[in-house]
Amino acid sequence: MSLSNMFKSTYDSMRSEQDYAGGLQNVQNPDKAFAGMLRQDYNDYIANFRQYEDKLLGMTDDTTLIDRSRENAEKQAEIAAGVQSRNLERYGGGGLSGAQLQEQQRSAQRGNQLSLAGTVNNARVQQREMNQALLQELIGIGQGVNARSLEGLGTAAQGAVARRGAYKQAKANYSSQMTNMGASILAAFLI
Amino acid sequence: MSKPKSSDYKESEVDKTNAAVAMADKKYFRENYLPKQREFIERSFKEESGLMSMAEGRAQADTMQALTQNPNRRAVGAVDAQADLASAASAQQLQGTAQGLMGARSDQVAGIKSANQMASQTAAGLSQASKIATTDTLNKAKAKQTRNSALIGAATKLGVQAGKNYSQYRAAESINTQETKQNTDANGNVTGGDYIPMTEGAGLFKIVTGRGLG
Repeated sequence: MSLSNMFKSTYDSMRSEQDYAGGLQNVQNPDKAFAGMLRQDYNDYIANFRQYEDKLLGMTDDTTLIDRSRENAEKQAEIAAGVQSRNLERYGGGGLSGAQLQEQQRSAQRGNQLSLAGTVNNARVQQREMNQALLQELIGIGQGVNARSLEGLGTAAQGAVARRGAYKQAKANYSSQMTNMGASILAAFLI
Repeated sequence: MSKPKSSDYKESEVDKTNAAVAMADKKYFRENYLPKQREFIERSFKEESGLMSMAEGRAQADTMQALTQNPNRRAVGAVDAQADLASAASAQQLQGTAQGLMGARSDQVAGIKSANQMASQTAAGLSQASKIATTDTLNKAKAKQTRNSALIGAATKLGVQAGKNYSQYRAAESINTQETKQNTDANGNVTGGDYIPMTEGAGLFKIVTGRGLG
């Protein structure tokens, strides 16, 4: 089988028997339909996404990580205390004296406070990094918004200038033609 | 020269198919992809807390598996075992929270970016539509101006011709008066002369339309 025949047979097997395009509705006024579609697109964007965009814009000073890490550090201290107390029970006090047990408690308290402070400090650093990264992304998005608004206004201004220019030109042409007509007729009468 | 027919300016089959396919695609996008896009963004915000919890849970499991799998007498007796466990678990939890939050933020930013891209496409389309509308307005104005120019041109031609007719009638009148003067004898009788044929005392309409002469 030659290469072209192979392609032909492959194409023939993939070819749709149904004319989907032929069954589509005819668009009566493409320019009006286009304008309507764009209006709807903008409305869809505002209705569906603007609230989330605003939400994201409000997240640049987020403290979720710091708040959660504080809660988590406290919870972890409780869990560790539970683990230690269960282990002590399992091993019958682990052969520790009362003084040793007290010291263990004090050490745990110190450790918990240090852990809380360290975790929250680390969370602050990470939170800042994340907020900065978000800010950077938002700036990028904002640049796009700015660029497209300028482009839109530029086109609108261009159109306005073109229309105004054409109107002035038309007025000047009309005036010149009318003057010319008056002068020609007057001259013809005065010959 | 025949009058232009609107059928000559009708859209071709390619234009029709292009518009119909584009419209169908847009409808399909609006009905099927737009809701998905919304769902993606909605979910990325709604599941932020869930993602963090999930990552924290995994961090918790990993930490406990690593640090509590061998509770021996030495570990029980150690002074700093409890503090070490709490510290390690907190640090791991923080990593889990951060990973979850970062994942959620990344999805949120991606969703807003894609929505903004859609908005940019809308804006670009609006610019194009505005250009089309301006071109249409200018074309209509130009067509009107062409019609006006033709009318003024026609009026000028008619006016100039009317002026010429009037001038010729006046000239003929003047020549005929001169001729009468030259061919009138002492008794006041007109004895011939070469007169331009014209209607004496013709009305203005007859004069300007050239029917006062001949």
